[in-house]
Amino acid sequence: MVPMNYYIVLAFILFFIGLMGFILRRNLIVMLVSIEVMLNGIIILFAAISHYVKDVSGYIIIFFVIASAAAESAVGLTLAVLIYKKLKTVYSTDINNFNG
Amino acid sequence: MNWDMLIFAYLAFAIVTTSLWAILCRNPVHTVLLILVMIIHQAFLILTLGCEFLTAVQIIVYAGAIMVLFLFVVYLVNLRKETRSSMFIRKWALALIGILFFAFFFWLNINVFIKFNPQVKAYLPFNSSKSVLWWMSTYLFKYYLLQFEIVGTILLVAVLGSVFLLRKVRVSEDRG
Repeated sequence: MVPMNYYIVLAFILFFIGLMGFILRRNLIVMLVSIEVMLNGIIILFAAISHYVKDVSGYIIIFFVIASAAAESAVGLTLAVLIYKKLKTVYSTDINNFNG
Repeated sequence: MNWDMLIFAYLAFAIVTTSLWAILCRNPVHTVLLILVMIIHQAFLILTLGCEFLTAVQIIVYAGAIMVLFLFVVYLVNLRKETRSSMFIRKWALALIGILFFAFFFWLNINVFIKFNPQVKAYLPFNSSKSVLWWMSTYLFKYYLLQFEIVGTILLVAVLGSVFLLRKVRVSEDRG
């Protein structure tokens, strides 16, 4: 039996990796992938708590999280393709139309 | 030999290694493929947590739909320049602020989770004759029906919005 703390620390590490990727990478698509990494950390957290508390609400929330991740990635990738069509770049440092 | 620990150690090591490698990788195609490996390992981690239905959902939806969508967009967008220009933005102060916020919330939460004794309450009898999937579907359609409808609406709006955005650009390009 693995203790619950191990799963929680794993979820926090995964969330941290996703956060750093989202902040530091330049590529918009890799930033969206980092959001998926963060959501996967949240999924591990909910699954672990739901397993150890013996309540199915966490599993149902994972179901909702996966559905919203699908919607989020669809809209985000659409915006990335639109930005690429308009500006011919997908780098966040090159999108500086509103720079003062 | 403690097989539970061994399997968990392998899955955790694979998940952390592939996600770190994906973030530090230069080629976006390699990033998406490494995240695909990470998601399959994570599906089996959820299997060790006792929900086989979510393993299937994770593999079908995440690995089968979302990551293939990412891969198509990476192929659609020309990314030759990535190998020459720098990978990271030069905002290390921003990263420091992120690390500090994360450390703060980690410090707030980890005490709660470590002191939390999960054996105290058992809301649902998992070991009864009904399976986890039975309880899940019962709860989903009995108590979480409004949320279920809202998630369906969110998916519909996302699909309609992305189709609308791409269609409008194509029309304006034809006129121009």
